[in-house]
Amino acid sequence: MGEFQVHRVRFFAYVPAGVRCLAHCARSARLALARTDGALEVYNFAANYFQEKRIPGHETRSTEALCWAAGDRLFGAGLSGDISEYDLEKLRVKYSLDAFGGPIWSMAADPSGTQLAVGCEDGSVKLFQVLPGKIQFERSLDRQRGRVLSLSWHPSGTRIAAGSIDVLRVFDVPSGRTIQRMLVDRRLQGPRSCECVVWSVAFLSDGTIASADSAGKVQFWDSEKGTLLETHPVSSSAALSLAVSEEEDSIVVGTSQGAVYQFQRLPVRWGGADSRWVRTKPFQHHTHDVRAVAHSQTALISGGLDAQLVIRPLMERMHGKGYDAALRKFTFPHRCLVSCAKKAGLLLFQFPQHLELWRLGATTAAGKDGDILPVSRAPEHLLQLKSKGPEHICSSCISPCGSWIAYSTASRLHLHRVRWENSSCSIKRVCKVPKWLCSAHQLLCSADSTRLFVASDQGTVHVLKLLEPGGCKHLQTLRPNSGGSEAVYLLAASADGDWLAAAGGDWKIHIYSLRSFKPRCTVPAYSCAVTALAIHPATNNLVIAHSDQQVFEFSIPDREYTAWSRKVQRQGLHKDWLERDTPITHITFNPKQPAHILLHDTYMFCILDKSLPLPDDATPLMNQTTLKQLSEKARRGHAHAFKICKKYQPLLFVDLLEEGCLVVVERPLMDIKTQLPPPVQQKKFGT
Amino acid sequence: MAATRRRRAMLDEEAAAAALPEGAAAGEDENDDEDEAPEEVTFERARAAAEAERRRAGETARRDRELLKEKRRRREELFKDQKKRKLLPENILEELTSRPQINNKLSDTNKQGQNVGDGSQNKHEEHARRRNKERKKPVVRIKGSYMAVRLKDQDITSQHQQMAKDFVQKHLYGPGTNRTTANQFFSFANKKSPVKKAAVQFVNKSWGLEKKQKAKQFKKHWMATKNGVSCVGGKKPSPLKVDTNLLRKIWALS
Repeated sequence: MGEFQVHRVRFFAYVPAGVRCLAHCARSARLALARTDGALEVYNFAANYFQEKRIPGHETRSTEALCWAAGDRLFGAGLSGDISEYDLEKLRVKYSLDAFGGPIWSMAADPSGTQLAVGCEDGSVKLFQVLPGKIQFERSLDRQRGRVLSLSWHPSGTRIAAGSIDVLRVFDVPSGRTIQRMLVDRRLQGPRSCECVVWSVAFLSDGTIASADSAGKVQFWDSEKGTLLETHPVSSSAALSLAVSEEEDSIVVGTSQGAVYQFQRLPVRWGGADSRWVRTKPFQHHTHDVRAVAHSQTALISGGLDAQLVIRPLMERMHGKGYDAALRKFTFPHRCLVSCAKKAGLLLFQFPQHLELWRLGATTAAGKDGDILPVSRAPEHLLQLKSKGPEHICSSCISPCGSWIAYSTASRLHLHRVRWENSSCSIKRVCKVPKWLCSAHQLLCSADSTRLFVASDQGTVHVLKLLEPGGCKHLQTLRPNSGGSEAVYLLAASADGDWLAAAGGDWKIHIYSLRSFKPRCTVPAYSCAVTALAIHPATNNLVIAHSDQQVFEFSIPDREYTAWSRKVQRQGLHKDWLERDTPITHITFNPKQPAHILLHDTYMFCILDKSLPLPDDATPLMNQTTLKQLSEKARRGHAHAFKICKKYQPLLFVDLLEEGCLVVVERPLMDIKTQLPPPVQQKKFGT
Repeated sequence: MAATRRRRAMLDEEAAAAALPEGAAAGEDENDDEDEAPEEVTFERARAAAEAERRRAGETARRDRELLKEKRRRREELFKDQKKRKLLPENILEELTSRPQINNKLSDTNKQGQNVGDGSQNKHEEHARRRNKERKKPVVRIKGSYMAVRLKDQDITSQHQQMAKDFVQKHLYGPGTNRTTANQFFSFANKKSPVKKAAVQFVNKSWGLEKKQKAKQFKKHWMATKNGVSCVGGKKPSPLKVDTNLLRKIWALS
């Protein structure tokens, strides 16, 4: 198998931004998530909860509300006062319309999806019509005093409930008048001088309004009579978010303490008609404020300021206790934020607004399995490159020799030449980069560092030639035959410089020949998203990992799946392999062992040995520790193709350098938690 | 008692103004002030003393007023200086103010032209030329690297945005919200476990690395200076007596 010296890197100070808004689209089983730094992510529930789209953030964008309207169109509104529509094919903001009401606090789409109601800072609720290709201001409802912090449409589309500070109002949409005004009680215990902010409202079809406020209570109101029906004190700190299921028999509430509660409508007497809302299940999966919750058909979804997205399937709605009913927690992005310059031993870390270049440390000692070797030269922070402008970095890469660094924002591509003198480096910007190259979601340098491949947002790939003293020239644009128009987000190049594979948002993988700059073939379509691609240096086989944990090997010269790949498909992968939570984000190879493939996801890395037999469901998948204790002969009998190591977790990146060295970039969760905003105090007896 | 002291003070001053040997007598008076009967002061003396006091009060008030005036005058000058510095240099202001005057002159001459003669073609041409010139918007070119920006376009939205963010910050992290530090929050598990451990900031080695590094540096400097001083002086300085200047220098370094 091999012995490796492992560079265990824990100096990547990556802190993900907290989750601010969630919007669930039941029709397409997708979840849109907005973070506090303005980034937008779309998770595809059908493709094993894969983060399929990501729009990078912006310094001035702070999204306060997200909603799906008119089918698959996604709208966001924030404190800058604009309503933006997101283009999910090209992965950018399509357009922004100023609502002229000051910062926007809330937004909701009406049940038919043709109108958007927006709650503004000046106290007005404005209605916008959703037309094909744009939105248009229709009218403004009666303006009231106090900012409108939460909005909800009645399922009939004729009334809107709006929550403000200390007050809850019901508007009649056709006339625009306020028909009901309800005063919300301030704090039940403690000082009554703090205002009560109604953070979230929901309008149910029988005229009941559910509200969650900063005094930590959930209240149910009758909108016809304007009276309070029930009060449920849920927490001693604020209740920040509320969501109702489609059948209106279950409500999920998120609080400041990180607890999520479920309310269910249960009959008072068994078989009786009278029913009441009862608080049933508490969940504590977050440590910080839960500012966004959503309710899908079968699961409670919550996102907190601790940057975690938690999806909790409800047992009474699931059939059986299989893997589908497991709790899913997502903290790290499903893409690579680290690039490695293998020949130079350098790592490039991508942060939202800057890049860091580090040189790996070195050791002169040797040891056996499990030893920790002393470091003779410490890892060195060589360079910090700040990006210009308010936009966040989409993607970045470093060439294998370490002389070129490229990064892309939504409006420009930046290319830098790095010069090395002894052990210090100096960096110089390349000025003549074509200005129309922008918004590249993946950048890749060829193995000989002479070409840069830029994935565009129109389904094409641009090839740039890197000229020696510090310049670049656009060589060609590779276009697919079938005319895909979604942004390309994965690239893989062969080591001999002949082939390039590109995967786009439509899940099709196109392979191009770099000699003739023409498309060669397309990998047969598969019904799941692609999460990682790599081309073997010796055999030119393309290894593909999908989000449902399937692994394929496609031979580019032969234009068909390899024999090994067919064998894997016939036999099927091991059950434990298929039931992993996180997708494979990086694939790499060992030049000295052509039958090995190295893959990793967040909680394990695995060396696939194609020459060994595949395991069936009866044998344990993670058998490395047991194999170590057996003798040589017994090992040969029990070994199978999957050699999995779970020692290093959580992983952000794993790569193989030359000379039997492995680089493992970890990010311990505790290190992230120390950088988060302060949590609410817990008082526990005896501490 | 206070009254006698005041009277005595007046008397003392008068005495000092008049002649010296009387001062000695006044000193003697002070020694046995409790037993003596109150002194008799003639009306003349009292009036003179009162007048002197009023004059003194008036002088002090005048002095204070003058000082205030001085202060105000200095501040006004300072503000004027600052304002002058803020404004564009004089030659550019002159250029800017002179352009509209030229335009006004043009329009004046045009009106005059209309009044005087309507017949001749030359004058018509002149009218046309002048009207064309008038219709063209006056282009004000400013030399140098200045940029004129409308205040309307600047940053009202960012002010609103800041106010909105402050609102959210106040309600989530403001005074009534009971927030705590990450160290306290994550140390609960350590404290409630059967084997009690220290708080997370001591157990977790990567916590607060910057603070620990700063503390290490400070310690290095402190030890170096302490040893240096002792070598030069020959006597060991006591650990409590610290030269504050030295401390300040060390803090600045770290």
